[in-house]
Amino acid sequence: MRRPLPDFGVSFAPPQSAAHPLAITSFRAWRIKEPVSGRRYTVVKLQSQSGNSGYGEGGPASGLEIAEARGAVTGRRATESEFVRSRFAKVPALEAAVSNAMLDLVSRSREIPVYQYFGGPTRFKARLLAHLEGADENAITPSLERAKRHGMLAFTMPALSRDSMVPLRAYVDSMRKRVAAIHAKGGPDAEWVLDASSGMTPGDAATVATALEKNHLMWFDEPTGVLTADALAKITSESVMPIGLGRTVTDISFFQGLLRDGTINVLRPSLGLNSLVKIKRMAAIAETHYVAVSPYHDGGPIGTLAGVHLNAALPNSFAQQVPVPANDRDAAMRADITSGNKEVAEKGYAALFNRPGWGFDVNERALDAHSEERI
Amino acid sequence: MKRRNLLGAIAAAGALGAAPPVRRNGLRPLFSDCGCAPQVQTSKDKPPGSTVFKDVGSKLRITNMQVFGVTLDERIAQADRPYVFVKLETNQGVVGWGEATLEGKASAAMACVMDLKDHIIGSDPMQVEHLYQLMYIGSFYRGGPVLGSAISGIDQALWDIRGKVLNLPVYELLGGPVDPRGVRGYYHASAWSLAQARELRDRTKAAGVTALKFQLPDLLEWVETGAKLKRAVKHLEMLREGLGPDVDFACDFHARPSPTVAAIILREIEPLHMLFAEEVCPPENLRAMAKAVKYSTTPIATGERLIAAYGCAEVIDMGIVDILQPDIAHVGGVTALWKVSAAAEASGIRMAPHACEGPIGGIASLHVDAAGPNFLAQEICGFVDGGEKARVWEDLMGFPAMRMVDGRYPLPRGVGLGINISEAALKRYPFQGTRPFPTTFFEDGSIASL
Repeated sequence: MRRPLPDFGVSFAPPQSAAHPLAITSFRAWRIKEPVSGRRYTVVKLQSQSGNSGYGEGGPASGLEIAEARGAVTGRRATESEFVRSRFAKVPALEAAVSNAMLDLVSRSREIPVYQYFGGPTRFKARLLAHLEGADENAITPSLERAKRHGMLAFTMPALSRDSMVPLRAYVDSMRKRVAAIHAKGGPDAEWVLDASSGMTPGDAATVATALEKNHLMWFDEPTGVLTADALAKITSESVMPIGLGRTVTDISFFQGLLRDGTINVLRPSLGLNSLVKIKRMAAIAETHYVAVSPYHDGGPIGTLAGVHLNAALPNSFAQQVPVPANDRDAAMRADITSGNKEVAEKGYAALFNRPGWGFDVNERALDAHSEERI
Repeated sequence: MKRRNLLGAIAAAGALGAAPPVRRNGLRPLFSDCGCAPQVQTSKDKPPGSTVFKDVGSKLRITNMQVFGVTLDERIAQADRPYVFVKLETNQGVVGWGEATLEGKASAAMACVMDLKDHIIGSDPMQVEHLYQLMYIGSFYRGGPVLGSAISGIDQALWDIRGKVLNLPVYELLGGPVDPRGVRGYYHASAWSLAQARELRDRTKAAGVTALKFQLPDLLEWVETGAKLKRAVKHLEMLREGLGPDVDFACDFHARPSPTVAAIILREIEPLHMLFAEEVCPPENLRAMAKAVKYSTTPIATGERLIAAYGCAEVIDMGIVDILQPDIAHVGGVTALWKVSAAAEASGIRMAPHACEGPIGGIASLHVDAAGPNFLAQEICGFVDGGEKARVWEDLMGFPAMRMVDGRYPLPRGVGLGINISEAALKRYPFQGTRPFPTTFFEDGSIASL
């Protein structure tokens, strides 16, 4: 899935004047790991000639990759996201982190929120989708309760995996029972996404999708890891259940192919592997197929809140996924990074921060404290 | 907390306002409405739906919108049409300019711009995407060249304001220029003999220009005579010989041939290795176009009559073309041209935006071109010898607009679109009504596609 873009033979011009106020002069990075879940992500801080700074989050990256990235972007202007998209096409975690940090930096330098820089708000609040930790209806309870306390109304539920000894009918019955049990836990206002985490065969996924159609789940997420046209068509040609997928996809063309084939109903690019700039391009293609974008996220809180800005600026966004920790230590760490918990909603929607950049202060002492490595 | 309560109250009020009418007896009327009533927002916001953004938007507001028709002397702009310029004014003194020129339909485009006034006056110009959606989806009839051109003019002006407010050129807002020296361009040209083609080659090279575009020598019927087919091919062969290997050239078929005729010509001109063949047949039927182009490796270009990203989706998805040519004055401005470019890039399709309008549209295109890795070349209705039209454009814009230097259109250095229109100059070219697109006929009196 890590194919580069089509090659147009383009070579970007070398960096322009290093004296430009937006020329990047400093690059720092933290490799973060949450204490209990073990969730990893990379935070990059850029500073420009004018003294403005910006933070961006991407997925896990190696120290070597980070060192290379520093060399590549120093001297570039913070507006050069197209250079970053091209230069880091094969290092998607850093494409996301660096490009998003540039967005934050430029927006701060203009004293506007990122969503404003990114095309202006298309909505005044952003729906959140809580990604619950836990593999079954009991294990998700702490995470679900935390998400509900934080005002969220849409949640993911884990699908059952199927042992080969289990007959298909029994498996489907078990899945129905699980969905019913989790529905009951969420209460009448809850909306659900069934998350299979790529764990089913296309055939089983088609059966489950068809069986659960009348449950009116928002969508069936990542039903299979077999992302071929034929495998996905097997699911979508047998069921009207919306299919969301793409958490490992970094190739815009790949999504375009799925859209052409009609095998995707919700684009789920990961915020850890794709910058906001790149997801905006994916969304532009999806828009012409009347398909919504709802970025996947299994990273840190800076990423979540970047996703909220993206959600606000895209016309065809639906919800931003938020990892909701089951453990208090992970939750405290996330709140620490953003100078207080910002991953909150009211009646299911996050408010937009009408402040420069991402709209909150990143706590560097927390980054230092929780990093495996500072570069 | 108060803000959230307020927003909640607004949403609730909207919902109440949307309730269908209730009779005195408390019952809703049956069989007497179309069913839209429950969904229609009865908000009195100006523009519609704007109040909910008051705490998340900017303080900037559009206070006035003007549209200018600009007619040039026919002797200096034979194929040109009245330009339609749009000016937006704001409560903070920042103004934005855009272009909504539509060939043969200037009055309609001007009227349509003003039809959109209620969507624009009072709006926050920083919400370019939302306002695009408001104009496109909110108009119910999505697309078409008149609405597309009107949206284009307004959208360009909104981006101009955005850039000025953020103190950055629009191409910086779109991801930065691939090459700060500018973007490659081509001029229109004609040559009817080998000697003329050679002279043109010399003048082209002397001007530092690297590419030209020509047309076919004849109008073409849906099946053609051997004589006309031979003349078309010989004409292009003559151009290649005269221009030599160093000057790229394209041929605009201008949707004259049928797919049947286009296929024959395309087949024979492959060895000329042209820059592209444009609008090789009419644009309405993409399956027919696909049939025509499958016999040729000459790069195929089309798109000047396509409106909105939606209008370009099928031609991209079907893989018919190598080069897309939406026009920023029709497709939906900067917003739509950028979206089309994004979709094209993912399919390995290059961009060569059409621009046969005035100078604002051309310059607005440069901003999108500059930030697109899949950009190929920018058109403008100009010639190697700029002539009187170049002088008029300089009069309007205050600089030699859309004139190439070393084969490239230089990028505007100013913020926004980097232009400043002289309203005093506009008065020197007053609108003189719509000029119909020229018509032409075959020798038997039937209508030909020009």
